[in-house]
Amino acid sequence: MALPSQQTVDYPSFKLVIVGDGGTGKTTFVKRHLTGEFEKKYEPTIGVEVHPLDFHTNCGKIRFYCWDTAGQEKFGGLRDGYYIHGQCAIIMFDVTARLTYKNVPTWHRDLCRVCENIPIVLCGNKVDVKNRQVKAKMVTFHRKKNLQYYEISAKSNYNFEKPFLYLARKLAGDPSLHFVESPALAPPEVHIDLAAQQQYEAEIAAAAAQPLPDDDDDAFD
Amino acid sequence: MASTDPERRDEGEREAPAGEDEDTGAQVAPIVRLEEVAVTTGEEDEDVLLDLKAKLYRFDKEGNQWKERGHGSVKLLKHKETAKVRLVMRQAKTLKICANHLVLSTTKMQEHAGNDKSCVWHATDFSDGELKEEMFAIRFASVENCKKFKEMVEEIAESVGKDEENESKDASAAAGLMEKLTVSESKSEENPTTEVPVAADEKKEEEKSKKKTKAEEPSSAA
Repeated sequence: MALPSQQTVDYPSFKLVIVGDGGTGKTTFVKRHLTGEFEKKYEPTIGVEVHPLDFHTNCGKIRFYCWDTAGQEKFGGLRDGYYIHGQCAIIMFDVTARLTYKNVPTWHRDLCRVCENIPIVLCGNKVDVKNRQVKAKMVTFHRKKNLQYYEISAKSNYNFEKPFLYLARKLAGDPSLHFVESPALAPPEVHIDLAAQQQYEAEIAAAAAQPLPDDDDDAFD
Repeated sequence: MASTDPERRDEGEREAPAGEDEDTGAQVAPIVRLEEVAVTTGEEDEDVLLDLKAKLYRFDKEGNQWKERGHGSVKLLKHKETAKVRLVMRQAKTLKICANHLVLSTTKMQEHAGNDKSCVWHATDFSDGELKEEMFAIRFASVENCKKFKEMVEEIAESVGKDEENESKDASAAAGLMEKLTVSESKSEENPTTEVPVAADEKKEEEKSKKKTKAEEPSSAA
């Protein structure tokens, strides 16, 4: 279990609590934002993992401390204890598993007992899957409880920025806040000697023989 | 529907199935007040040589596998003054940097064995503001785009190589010249026009403080 990475930064930061049933894709979603990778392997989160996640906006840099909590009951750890001082939240369910949507009210209730009046986004993940069990029309919980709802796919990146954008806008009270280019600093000059270059070429040759992960998927343009 | 177009920028007009972007959230009081700031991309002094949509991967040596790094636009940018060319790639929508490195004379593009829309290379990457050795693979929507990218990088690498060669020739020529200058130094002192204009002032200072001598002073060609 990671400790809350509490190194302070000189720009606004927010505690974001992410809850929802096990296997709905909370960790995969966070990882996608952190490194770009899409993790297919399921490894249940134990307790909580806290990851700082930065965004550049037209109102400067902001940071979410993402409290990625365990969805599985047996690995729950402190549970409500993780919600304390949460300033915003994401409740995740899996549109291919009806039960995960049925459990949304429980997650919402537990969360709201600790965190009153925080902006919350409900996310229906895995909308890239053909046979979904929870159709968009069946999702009504957010209307009753005044949550924002997004259909997302951590796999295809569909709407993957929306939950953060929505929360940032609410926290700042600025509906026109948007993400901007982070400054691409000039890379320092490097010198690569012949020995290193030969080594890299050998490594590249080996790597080039390994398949790319989503080679079957050509739907990126 | 979801996976068809992860690249699209402005959802508003094109999609919106059943009130997708309507705000159903509760009114909550903002907890910070943020002022608009000037945005710097860091690319202001550069010309765009190439801009293509692509998917980027990095090689995970431990797991011996490629991992996705980002989907977005890859650019080759040439600096207006230094003429250095770098590769910068940003993630679509969040606009975060997923690659940022110079194209060097040693930058070699290799084809990916199983995919003719992909190529592979090594880079000392500066995405996170610290230098890291990475192996990247990039995949384009078409074979043509991949070819265009690969050829342009190769061309740049080659011309960087030529420049370096010329520079080292110049350097040795200059060194030769300097040796010859030893004799003429005393008379050239009053006239410090040099072939190395940037260094000229420094050298003058040095001369003043150390009271001349020093054979290797590139004081003047005169």
